[in-house]
Amino acid sequence: MGTPREKYQNRIELLQGTLDMLILETLKWGAQHGYGISQAIGAQSGEILKVETGSLYPALHRLERQGFVRSEWKTTEAGQRAKFYQMTATGKRQLAADRERWEQMVTAIGAILNPAE
Amino acid sequence: MVWWRRKRELEEEIAAHVEMAMADRMARGEDPETARREAEREFGNAALVKDVTAETWRWRWLDQLLQDVRYALRQMKKSPGFALTVIGTLALGIGAAVAMFTVVDKVMLRPLPYRDAGRLASIEFESKQVAPPWGVPLLDIQEWRKWDRSFSEIGYYVGLGGRNYLEGSNGSQQVMATIISANLLDLLGVKPMLGRGFSPQADSFAKSGDADAILLGNTAWRQMFGADPKLLGKTVKISGKSHTVVGIMPPGFAFPFAGSAPEVWMPAQPGPADGGRTSSTPGYEVIGRLRRGVTPARATTELNVLQKQIAKGYVDKDARETHSRFRISTYGDTLVDADTKHALLALLAASGLLWLIACVNSTNLLLARAMARQREIAVRGALGAGRWRIVQQLMMEGLLLSSSATLIGSAIAWMAVKLFARSLSKMLPLPVSAAPNGLLLLALVLLTLVSALAASVWPAVLAAYSPIEPALKQGGQQSGTSRARSRLRSGLVVTEIALSLTLLVACGLLLRTIYALRHVQLGFRTEHIFVASMNIPGYKFEGKNLTSDLYEPLLERVRHMPGVEAAGLISEVPLGKTFRIQLTLNGNAADELDNAPKTVNAQLIGVSPEMQGVFGFKMAAGRFFNSQDTATTTPVMVINRAFARLYYSNNKDMRKIIGKKLWHLEPGKPAEIIGVLDDVRQAGITLKPSPEVDLDIAQLGPKSTAYEAMEGMAMDLAVRTDRSEASFLPELREVLRQADPALAGSTMSTMDQVVEDSYGSQRMAAHVLEIFAGSALLLCVAGLYGLLAYVVTQRTREIGLRIALGAQRGDVLWLVMRQATWMLAAGVAIGLGAAYASTRLIGSFLYGVRAHDGATFAAVALVLLAAGAVAAYLPARRAAGVDPMEALRAE
Repeated sequence: MGTPREKYQNRIELLQGTLDMLILETLKWGAQHGYGISQAIGAQSGEILKVETGSLYPALHRLERQGFVRSEWKTTEAGQRAKFYQMTATGKRQLAADRERWEQMVTAIGAILNPAE
Repeated sequence: MVWWRRKRELEEEIAAHVEMAMADRMARGEDPETARREAEREFGNAALVKDVTAETWRWRWLDQLLQDVRYALRQMKKSPGFALTVIGTLALGIGAAVAMFTVVDKVMLRPLPYRDAGRLASIEFESKQVAPPWGVPLLDIQEWRKWDRSFSEIGYYVGLGGRNYLEGSNGSQQVMATIISANLLDLLGVKPMLGRGFSPQADSFAKSGDADAILLGNTAWRQMFGADPKLLGKTVKISGKSHTVVGIMPPGFAFPFAGSAPEVWMPAQPGPADGGRTSSTPGYEVIGRLRRGVTPARATTELNVLQKQIAKGYVDKDARETHSRFRISTYGDTLVDADTKHALLALLAASGLLWLIACVNSTNLLLARAMARQREIAVRGALGAGRWRIVQQLMMEGLLLSSSATLIGSAIAWMAVKLFARSLSKMLPLPVSAAPNGLLLLALVLLTLVSALAASVWPAVLAAYSPIEPALKQGGQQSGTSRARSRLRSGLVVTEIALSLTLLVACGLLLRTIYALRHVQLGFRTEHIFVASMNIPGYKFEGKNLTSDLYEPLLERVRHMPGVEAAGLISEVPLGKTFRIQLTLNGNAADELDNAPKTVNAQLIGVSPEMQGVFGFKMAAGRFFNSQDTATTTPVMVINRAFARLYYSNNKDMRKIIGKKLWHLEPGKPAEIIGVLDDVRQAGITLKPSPEVDLDIAQLGPKSTAYEAMEGMAMDLAVRTDRSEASFLPELREVLRQADPALAGSTMSTMDQVVEDSYGSQRMAAHVLEIFAGSALLLCVAGLYGLLAYVVTQRTREIGLRIALGAQRGDVLWLVMRQATWMLAAGVAIGLGAAYASTRLIGSFLYGVRAHDGATFAAVALVLLAAGAVAAYLPARRAAGVDPMEALRAE
């Protein structure tokens, strides 16, 4: 029983870290609500990445608890009351760190896939 | 609550998400209905999103808890009868235990307002053969102070005697005045709140400046002087005598520890009389502070050795004998008499028993239910619910049931203590308030937890750890109950029956006692008599004659009240326990007593002639007082049969005693015996009549020897009338007020009530046990019924099959009754054994019945068997009435 469970957790962690980074990246352009974030990630990735609400909302609430974002109830241009999330200063530092780690990883994976000729 | 707000916010957030998605779709041209459906589909499982999101909060456990509570409440609503039975059962058990604990706590565990009170010990004479002398002569105390090593300090005190009145800024009030040795406050470890204590020399034989000093208790200071701090150094009067206030004691201080009456203290003033060891030497009560590590038993041994030397100082041989042994006990232990303590502990044990029965009963109920729900639990287990989670949920159910039970139980306890407060205050030194204290609340919480654990966890664990598959496979109610478990449940019922029987036997014995007490020949009539117990402010009549100035005019007025048949005065009505005067005659005062030992002891009673009419006293010989006996005629007295029997050798014919001389009313005027009264119960219903000497109040005057004690302190007024309490007592109080304002506060009662109150611990114990035993009977019958009803439901199919195969209805009836019979028989047998072993505990309360009274045991066993048979017959009849077709088709 032990091993599969550990593997499962690792997978979540990897995805979680990535999703968190993507959310923070989206919020770089200003405060946004949950629906807006999922739409933005979808549009930016050319509809390749689809964020499940079951992952998005837990991630948002976790980020808020960690102090990387803060939330506020505002009205959208269309007159809909929604909860807007905004990146905090710590969030910005976190995003920078996430990015760096991501790029290192991409480089590393790239180096494995395309060994130096 | 934060958690609720977040939950609402999350719902709103999700709703907004769907709204916006829908708006976008509509903007792309979809119709509203499709847009909503598609938006919702795209969002996914909203409930799941809510759950996983909420899991990121720190409140997860609370969510689960609330879920469990909701689940438990739903279960309770589904079978309200079951919930009510369990709650009622537990509430009864907890209520009884808490009520008893409140009383025991108030009486026996209360903290005394002294420093390190556990080391304070009282020293009393002890004697095996005769009544031990009361009080210790000062000479002995001084020897102990000099030689004894067990105590770091020894002090003494004595009540001022009689009734004392403190004159305050607005009227006078009765106070408890105590004479104390100068070191007593230091010994108790208490300092006056204002001013000082007595100077250390105050109680030496030398005269000191503190001779007329007084310390006021906080209550007296507040009530009578409005808490005036300038009272220090001023003069106050106690029953007319002036004293200088030197200090005020802190609130809550009381010594001796009894009641809440206002108190004052004065320094002891040893006089020439204290310089001897004879029968006329004043005696003091002694209290000492034990050195650290010294037990009362060790101190007793040491003091007894020491006293062997000191007792040589007693010239009289008998006195030397009686003054040579001591009993030293912790001061706190002396405050409640052994009988009361015993009664309370026995009742506490009984309440514990009832609580146990309640727990067993509810465990049985919960167990039955857990079995009935076996399939549901199995399904939940199969669907992936963790075992611990299932146990948790069942535990929550038990906890909910038992905390409701605790709430109701404490309400029951509160009411019970209120209800019994009156009889309690008659037997206990302190008024008992119903308010529980911190310790009690702690005990309450513990009781709840224990009962919750006992009643729910065990069946919960059993249910959760039972294998899932068989329950699922066999399905439904017909699932085979394991033999071991049904045996366990029967065992619980047997236990219940046995415990209940024990309580029932104890109750039966006490009821027999009460019956016997009510049929004791009292020797006087009790119906239609009102009694006013008066405190006489004797100091106001200094220089006057109480007989002619207070009593005769008062009696005259009462006699002329409408509806009064007869009215009289007596220093203490029989069984009154108000004011007892002890007469001790030495040497030649008892000249004509031919069978007299050196000293004669008797109760001295002052009475007016009409009392015979009020109480219907019967004469064994001669006559009672009448209106011809006055202050100017020959002094006469009446004795009782017990006196005659004890002190006259020639007592076969009581008439021979008439005309004999005995004692005197005034020095030089011997009194003549004119009558012998038949014995009445004076001090207690169970106590044999003691020797008594009656004097006529009309013949008493200021010159009489016992005038002060007989007339100046207390007097009971007894009135025979057919009028009702409500109409007569206010009128009587008004008449008393007119006679003297101080008498308006007299305690009013009826003679029936006085007799009732004198039953004391037996009556209270019987009442309490009646309730306990009745509840126990109810619980065990309910337990038996519940088990059999459950068994019948479980075996419906089997029974149906039996009937279909030709079993007679009678056989089926007997099938169920047989199971009941062996449980009842086993329970009763064990219970009789337990009762036989435990009734010795209440042996000292029994009167007119033995602790192992066969008739009571048999009667109680029969009652229980009959009640059990009825409880078993109902399910048995239902079993016999099972329709075989119906039963077999049911699955």
